Amino acid sequence: MHPAPTSEIPAQLIALFAALMLVAQLLLAVQRMLLTSIRLFAIQSLFLAGIAAVVAYSHNAFHVYVVVALTLIGKVAFLPWLLDRQVRRMKIIQEIEPLVNFPTSMLICGGLTLLGYLVARPFTSLERLGNNTLAVAITLVLTGFFLMINRRKAITQVLALLTVENGVMLAAVALTTYGMPLVVELGIFFDVLVAVMILGILVYRIRETFASMDTSKLSQLKG
Amino acid sequence: MELIALLGLPVVAGLLCLATDSPRAWERLNLLAFAGLALLALDLGATVLANGPVTALGGFLRADALSALVVGLTAFVALVTAIYAVGYFRRDQRDRRIAVPQLRRYYVLTPLFVGVMLLVPLADNLGVMWVATEGATLASVLLVTFYNQKTSFEAGWKYIIIGSVGISLALFGTVLTYYSAVGVLGPDTAHGMNWSVLAVIADKFDSRAMRLAFVLVLLGYGTKAGLVPMHTWKPDAYAEAPVPTAALLGAGFINCALYGIARFDVLAEKCLGHDFPGKLLAGFGLASILVAAPFILAQRNFRRLLAYSSIDHAGIMVAALGFGGKLGALGAMLHMLFHAATKPLLFFCAGNVQQHYGTPFFLKIRGVIRTLPWTGGLFLLAALAVTGTPPFSLFQSEFTVLSAALVAHQGWSAFLFLAGVVTIFAGFLVHMTRLNLGTPEAGAPARAAECPWKLTAILLVAAAVILLGFWLPGPLYQLIQQSARIIGGVS
Repeated sequence: MHPAPTSEIPAQLIALFAALMLVAQLLLAVQRMLLTSIRLFAIQSLFLAGIAAVVAYSHNAFHVYVVVALTLIGKVAFLPWLLDRQVRRMKIIQEIEPLVNFPTSMLICGGLTLLGYLVARPFTSLERLGNNTLAVAITLVLTGFFLMINRRKAITQVLALLTVENGVMLAAVALTTYGMPLVVELGIFFDVLVAVMILGILVYRIRETFASMDTSKLSQLKG
Repeated sequence: MELIALLGLPVVAGLLCLATDSPRAWERLNLLAFAGLALLALDLGATVLANGPVTALGGFLRADALSALVVGLTAFVALVTAIYAVGYFRRDQRDRRIAVPQLRRYYVLTPLFVGVMLLVPLADNLGVMWVATEGATLASVLLVTFYNQKTSFEAGWKYIIIGSVGISLALFGTVLTYYSAVGVLGPDTAHGMNWSVLAVIADKFDSRAMRLAFVLVLLGYGTKAGLVPMHTWKPDAYAEAPVPTAALLGAGFINCALYGIARFDVLAEKCLGHDFPGKLLAGFGLASILVAAPFILAQRNFRRLLAYSSIDHAGIMVAALGFGGKLGALGAMLHMLFHAATKPLLFFCAGNVQQHYGTPFFLKIRGVIRTLPWTGGLFLLAALAVTGTPPFSLFQSEFTVLSAALVAHQGWSAFLFLAGVVTIFAGFLVHMTRLNLGTPEAGAPARAAECPWKLTAILLVAAAVILLGFWLPGPLYQLIQQSARIIGGVS
């Protein structure tokens, strides 16, 4: 019934990649340049693909390889390319000052990481892959939400949403060993793709009509 | 087979609209598709009542009584909306508010939206249900931004961002639910996320994971249903979207979101008992009713008023699930039916008034009943019906929910529920009597002609509302009872 516990080297690789995903997230939290932020997201997704690859290899699970391929095509290559093109076309380079300054952001993210570990603690004994992957996943989700609140450029909010999604997918790989049924993975992949494209259209139209990408200017509707 | 037809028909109609260039053809394709959908939904209801659950594609699609109910309500709302939309958009075109490409966007995206929405109740796999919920949101974002105004983009942005954040929590919850079952399921990943499989073994789930999972799922699907405090996108989206889209969101899609909550509630109650999920549901439900009440009292824009009313009704249904017991389940299902039958009328009348007077603000409009007698009269009737005034049917369901709270010995909850519902009734009554019965300003046109398409849609819904007040057809009641039995616990 239970899959065999992951052996030593794959487990260490997974722990390493998960830690690197977290590092990418923290760097993203203090990054002002939009193009670099997009790169950081691509790198984070690459580590996610790495974790899925290790899982697929060590469990001989064919359909997890499909997840690896989807992550590589979608999140490492296509979406960063799409966002990159949009940023260049709109000629915006820097994020404006976030609501909370960068040192404080770093502190808050540190606190959220602690919270992630606290929430994940009751489950660590049950984790299939061990090594705190669930804690990292929860941290990614929490810091992703913080980024969405803290940043004002529409593009950075989209990136933050994508890191939240990375966190959820990490949880899916970390908790269930074999991942979710293939049709679900495909559906999620498709949804994320369409979501980013629609967000892209909206970002473009918002910039056209408001002459700005600052989402704090979206404040006409009240009551 | 009919399950596949239900999903395929609207999608094919949407794609056909993409292939032709004539607005008349778009209208006809939409009308035909939704008329066909209504027949298929009726047939599905009859089949489920006669033979029990229907499956297709090797168990990928599955419809029991609860699914059939939600499918039927969605099909009803989609059909009357399609009739209304013809008149509504022709008027918009005459007033030069929209151009032909926008019209195409509406007629292509709406059937797709409905098709994806129908996958929510028909998918057995909880992951696919999630994908469909998010897909339906994505299909409707560009409908919310239909008018291409500053405010429409603001509403669209809030709609997709808040919705996506919420729904990513629901995905986390779905993953955790699956995880809490993996120990019991073994390596069967193909059917491991199917609700019909999980519901049988839910009592053996890992309870710590399930507890967290239910909280996340409730937050996620609750965002889509518009529960407080995740409701902030709703007034903007409902007020900025064209009226037919708002009606589809407010009377159709809301049921799909509540359906998701109900499915997970069954799993959670079987695993954790009624106490934990019940308290959470009742808490969110009552909070939604009580927060909606002051916003309804102080509202100046009648399109936003409808959104707060929808938050209130989502709250009532969720609270009913939370009170639990046979009465709670029955109350929730009755309320879903009556609400979906009544809400389109309110949206349509509001749309007529807004198009005729060119403003959504109460302040500038008086005495609608003198200018547009049908619209004004039925707007008032719809307002009475939606606030649960007897003899209209929502009174019965709200009374059932109240009894459920009293049976469960939740006196305070019953009191808060009643206080909220009565406040909202008062708010509606004040706004609506002034709007419809007040003396019109001097110089206002004495009487205007009603558009036949819009009037047909309005009269159809009004007939359903009045009929349901006195008579609930036997088969429909059976469907409600069976659905209530499903969410009251599968055994």
